[in-house]
Amino acid sequence: MSKREKYSFAAAPATAKKFWKSLEAKENPAAFAKAAEPEFPMGVGTVEDAASVSRRGFLTVATATAAAIGLEGCVRRPVEQILPYAQAPEYLNPGVPMHYATSVERRGEALGLLVTTHEGRPTKIEGNPEHPASLGSTDLLAQAMVLDLYDPDRSNAPKQGEAKKTFADVDALMASIVRTHSADAGAGLRILATPSISPSFLRLRAAVQQRFPQAKFYTWTPVNESNAREGARLAFGEPVVAHHDYQGAKIILSIDSDFLQTESGSIRSARRFADGRRLSQATDSMSRLYVVESTHSTTGANADHRLALAPSKITAYLRALAKELATAHRIELGPLGAALQGASNAGLPTKWISNVAKELVGARGRSVIVAGSRQPAAVHALVHALNAALGNHGATIVFSSVADTTETDQTASITAFAAGLEGAKTAIILGGNPVFDAPADLDLATKLARVETSLHFSGTHDETCHATKWHVPRAHELESWGDLRALDGTVTIQQPLIAPLFGGRTDLEVLAQLAGERNWRGYYVVRQTLRGAAGVQNGFESEWRRVLHRGFVAGSAEPPRPGVIDMSRVATALGRSEPAVDGFEAVFLACAKMLDGRHANNAWLLELPDPLTRITWDNVALLSPKTASELGVRNGDMIRVTRDGTSIELPAWKLPGQPDKAVGLLMGWGRKHAGRYGNDVGFDVYPLRRSDALHSAAVQVAKLAGSYPISQTQDHDSMEGRPIAIDGTLEEFKADPTFAIHRSPTPRTLPLWREVEYRGHKWGLVIDLGACTGCNTCVIACQSENNIPTVGKAMVAKGREMHWIRIDRYFVGEDANEPEVAFQPLACQQCEEAPCENVCPVEATAHSPEGLNDMAYNRCIGTRYCANNCPYKARRFNYFNWHTKNEADEEVPPTRQMQFNPNVTVRMRGVMEKCTYCVQRIETARTATKIAGRPMRDGDINVACAQACPSNAITFGDLNDAASRVSRQNQVSRHYKLLADIGAQPRTTFLAKVRNPNPEMSA
Amino acid sequence: MSEAHFTPVEEELAHGAESPIEYLGERNLLPPTMTMRQLTETVCAPTELKTPKAWWIGFGIALMGAGILGASVSWLLFKGVGVWGNNSPVSWAWDITNFVWWIGIGHAGTLISAILFLFRQKWRTSINRFAEAMTIFAVMCAGIYPGLHTGRPWFDYYMFPVPNSMVLWPQFKSPLMWDIFAVSTYFTVSALFWYVGLIPDLATLRDRSTGDTLPRKVRRFAYGFFSLGWRGSNRHWQHYERAYMILAGLSTPLVLSVHSIVSFDFATSVEPGWHTTIFPPYFVAGAVFSGFAMVLTLMLVCRSVFDMKDVVTMKHLELMNKIMLTTGSLVGYAYAMEFFVAYYSGNQYERYVFLNRAIGPYAWAYWSMIACNVIFPQVFWWKRMRTSIPVMFVISILINIGMWFERFVIIVTTLHRDYLPAVWGMYSPTIWDMGVYIGTFGFFFTCFLLFLRWLPMIALAEVKATLPNAHPRKSHAADHADDHGHDTNLAEEPTALPAE
Repeated sequence: MSKREKYSFAAAPATAKKFWKSLEAKENPAAFAKAAEPEFPMGVGTVEDAASVSRRGFLTVATATAAAIGLEGCVRRPVEQILPYAQAPEYLNPGVPMHYATSVERRGEALGLLVTTHEGRPTKIEGNPEHPASLGSTDLLAQAMVLDLYDPDRSNAPKQGEAKKTFADVDALMASIVRTHSADAGAGLRILATPSISPSFLRLRAAVQQRFPQAKFYTWTPVNESNAREGARLAFGEPVVAHHDYQGAKIILSIDSDFLQTESGSIRSARRFADGRRLSQATDSMSRLYVVESTHSTTGANADHRLALAPSKITAYLRALAKELATAHRIELGPLGAALQGASNAGLPTKWISNVAKELVGARGRSVIVAGSRQPAAVHALVHALNAALGNHGATIVFSSVADTTETDQTASITAFAAGLEGAKTAIILGGNPVFDAPADLDLATKLARVETSLHFSGTHDETCHATKWHVPRAHELESWGDLRALDGTVTIQQPLIAPLFGGRTDLEVLAQLAGERNWRGYYVVRQTLRGAAGVQNGFESEWRRVLHRGFVAGSAEPPRPGVIDMSRVATALGRSEPAVDGFEAVFLACAKMLDGRHANNAWLLELPDPLTRITWDNVALLSPKTASELGVRNGDMIRVTRDGTSIELPAWKLPGQPDKAVGLLMGWGRKHAGRYGNDVGFDVYPLRRSDALHSAAVQVAKLAGSYPISQTQDHDSMEGRPIAIDGTLEEFKADPTFAIHRSPTPRTLPLWREVEYRGHKWGLVIDLGACTGCNTCVIACQSENNIPTVGKAMVAKGREMHWIRIDRYFVGEDANEPEVAFQPLACQQCEEAPCENVCPVEATAHSPEGLNDMAYNRCIGTRYCANNCPYKARRFNYFNWHTKNEADEEVPPTRQMQFNPNVTVRMRGVMEKCTYCVQRIETARTATKIAGRPMRDGDINVACAQACPSNAITFGDLNDAASRVSRQNQVSRHYKLLADIGAQPRTTFLAKVRNPNPEMSA
Repeated sequence: MSEAHFTPVEEELAHGAESPIEYLGERNLLPPTMTMRQLTETVCAPTELKTPKAWWIGFGIALMGAGILGASVSWLLFKGVGVWGNNSPVSWAWDITNFVWWIGIGHAGTLISAILFLFRQKWRTSINRFAEAMTIFAVMCAGIYPGLHTGRPWFDYYMFPVPNSMVLWPQFKSPLMWDIFAVSTYFTVSALFWYVGLIPDLATLRDRSTGDTLPRKVRRFAYGFFSLGWRGSNRHWQHYERAYMILAGLSTPLVLSVHSIVSFDFATSVEPGWHTTIFPPYFVAGAVFSGFAMVLTLMLVCRSVFDMKDVVTMKHLELMNKIMLTTGSLVGYAYAMEFFVAYYSGNQYERYVFLNRAIGPYAWAYWSMIACNVIFPQVFWWKRMRTSIPVMFVISILINIGMWFERFVIIVTTLHRDYLPAVWGMYSPTIWDMGVYIGTFGFFFTCFLLFLRWLPMIALAEVKATLPNAHPRKSHAADHADDHGHDTNLAEEPTALPAE
């Protein structure tokens, strides 16, 4: 307190001179006093009241109130971290976003992330450039994850049945579970979790196991790595992880592996694969990718040669290839050679056996064979054997150990869990959604109903929650403390960006409670695990801060090692031959968007076009055009797929390149309890998926009457012979490195007026079609950065989707069953002579001095003339107020509003919008560099699409800076401008794709 | 009066050989026996007699149509322009199709009133008022579309050069901007032209409104107010003729400019199928074509309902059919030339667009257009067809349909498949597209029926001037006996009486 004496009116000396307010008061004080009585007798402060509150007191209260409002109202951070704004951290400036490192688990891989938060709200997810699994990029699902966080249908309270409960009730329940099972040593306790790569999880699991020795742990996730692990166990005796060097490899053979999109570690694979094919001059070399697959995947779309085979024939192909290698090329396979004697080439294209074998042998030690997770363990084992025999181990393929060496086959585990429920008292399910996605024959729902106490920890009140007695909200990954072990062993930290919006527990916290840890909160659990880990004993606090800052424990990666293979075990495994299937086969596919169904209420993903079919808001049964015509079905016709009496009905779709008689079924759709966006969207294919055949199964297919409307964003597959997504073969490239620009030349006519000179910055974007895999990550990245609304299925059917960047997909080639695929990411081309600009009657779109084609939303009246005159059709129009008038929402859900990027206008109905080259990022960097007093440098700015791109296909920068990456890309000879003959001078340019076909394959 | 043409004998009987109309090589247009009084009675009757039941029925239907317009527009404003079927890539569809269609229809009025006036085509006098009214109402209908098809119609005023503190101006490089000026000028001049032409006739109506009942007084006041004190003095006529001539001179370039500028919306773009130099003349020819068809359709109905066969004779109709045959053939030539140029250009995008029009998913629209605009009007080569009321009625309606399809084909089939096949799409209208279109018809006919009921649908003063009696005839003057006292230079009845 101040030393100055407090002043109050009451303390005024009574003996002071008499002051009078008016003559009346002077003459007749009593009457005046009566008249001057307070007008508002109660509750309204008077000067005297105020005297009791000092200025400092008032300020204290006001500050506290403001702080409290701040804490309650907008800033949701983990309790452990909150600092009141009364002592605001120096680095916290309202309006200036902060970035935190965290991570997320994706198919057994830890994906390092950097998350942008605005005043405590995570709004955008980027990759952590230093993290080995991310390399600064993200995948599709990581980009979309931030929307899951704000899912308006997330569960907001624990529930017993349908009755709302509190977390205190949950704690009481947990305590009673602990009491109950302390008595029986956990004999009746069953815990099902998703396979974990978290060191803390494994530590706590061991602790729980110790406390309840009879308790049983199970794992299940529908899209899993079990086959790969089992294959490794067969080949090496331990479940190791293979790391493929797609960059160094000259010949890559994928055996049903979608390593560019849906497989584990796809970001790193896509980056390395693209790095092995970036041609800048005629002398450069590139890899050649052969894909043999049972569906048409993104990886298949990027193949130089692709062979579509029904799932049951893939093993036969690999056996035949191995036999060819062993016999024709004398590759040493030891005891395996004998086991392959029975392999036959029957029904397989011979050139695919002889040529591929020749190529692999020709690139000994510089080739990679990779098997997909759908393939049986024996195939994985054989692939390991072939790689070893070809000298790839230790060269292009190295190994590291898995996080959880005790992990068994997932199918066996979930089957055991289902069987074990009979005698169980308590079943705890941590995450996942097994009632929806477990093998259908297990009938988990019925079995769970018989268990006395069953809990499901889940983000939404999903199908499994409806089958268990209790539901407890599970914190989102962005709300959780955790740790993850990346495939290469790097220990990665998961730190929360925000306190759980609706409360919620993490798996670690549940296990810690069960294990009886006193500090069971995730924060302490993770710290304790890390403290226990080697090397961080001393100076833990500073190390902890460094780890949090970096997002992972530096140097924790395991040194990679070559594997030591046991050919005889592989030979034994191969002895069990797969039964051949003659009729239709169903292939259960991990959906690039839903994965296994966990993202089913994510409107961004629902509306994202499938990379190949371009279908939104639905899944379909994929058929080859030949099979479809044999069945007499057209796109959208309903078919029935039957397996042993169980059948599902869903629309058929012709996908060029799908193997004949193989019905591709995308998993994760048709959920009943996903939420407002995802309920009953698409068709559930899990009823056909059983424990005996998890990945493919013989089925019957019948055409039904009627068809089903499908919304696509693109329904024309042919390029019509136009020079659009230009590609050429390596030979063509070597003969004429500038072949692309010759196919799409800029006219030489003189401009009508003097061309503008861009003296300052000249922003440009180069898209390397050779690197683009078509994965769609950029689309979601743009959507989350730029507040792009979703419009719903009916509006997509009308062509009103709002994506600022889209990936045009064309099928090339004569044979509809063996197409080549061309992807072309396309956003506003920021034309220098923009046709859109001079047709706008109100000048709402105009050129900036740095060459951006700016949109002034405030000025736009929506004549749509600009969209008509855009040759690229890159402009999107708000036909309605999409943020409120979509199919599910009457108004923007409050949680959804939290995701909005405050630096980007949320557009209203009736205005045109389009790619801005992330102008907000340019301006942010301009401000920052101006404050720092230095010019903007290359790399200060990156646009959202380029930043997210796993394969680094997109480069952004200043074309006036000769040293910038984008300028260098602009010099690459494959460079061309799309539709250059119009003369619009697009600022975005492309590098033509170069394919590397083997001439002998076409001979 | 019969529908048949007048025999030369009849015409010879009616007047001498040197009336001005003959001097210009035209034949007499009205029946020889038609007197000025008869003409006045015929033309004024619909405004003075008791409203016929048919009018009420027609007006009721039209008003319902206008109601549909109101409802559709309200829904449009309430929900957003997405209630229409427009999409990406077809950002313009029925809205601009209908805009161009209505604007085109208006062209006949201006052509008839301005260009034919300057060329001294006296036959125009029977139909010009009618056609001008149609122009004005059609332009009003057209104006609804650019105003409402925007995403945020409440900001449409951004398109006008309104001085503001931000010093933001419309963009004068945009053809839409030119449209704003072209159409608003067109509307202003057409309305003025129409009104100036109406003044002497309004005075006639005023003077005929005698009597002391309140309705008669209101009539007298209203017509009196709008006839601006016209007394038919020589001085009035002199000013009137001069003003009329000036306005005709002003309107004449508009006939060519408005649709040329509308065509610039397309021709200055980079879209294949739009980016072509043939558009301005092609659009103007098409506009005149559709305008005449619309005039004819309406005229045939009114002529029979209001018994105006003597004023709008078969000769008029036949001349209009000839114009339609001419402009229809011009349009057909343009269609063929577009195809040729697309082929000759060697530009694959151009070629594709035209092939797509003829054999793509909207081929039905293209062939409807060809049939209605090029093939069917060819029957007018035969005089029997040219002079058959049912044939010309059907053909005129077909032409209106065909010209609508022409705009639809130009706009939608161009946009739905342009450069990048990945963004190709289809368009189909919604109920609200149709609602607005039907509604504009309702609005148009509401206005038109009010016009028929309250204003002289034939330019009385002008038609009178073409009557043989309007001109001094040697024979008459010579034969004139002094037993009656009219001035041989005047009509039998003064056009307008001096004000009391």
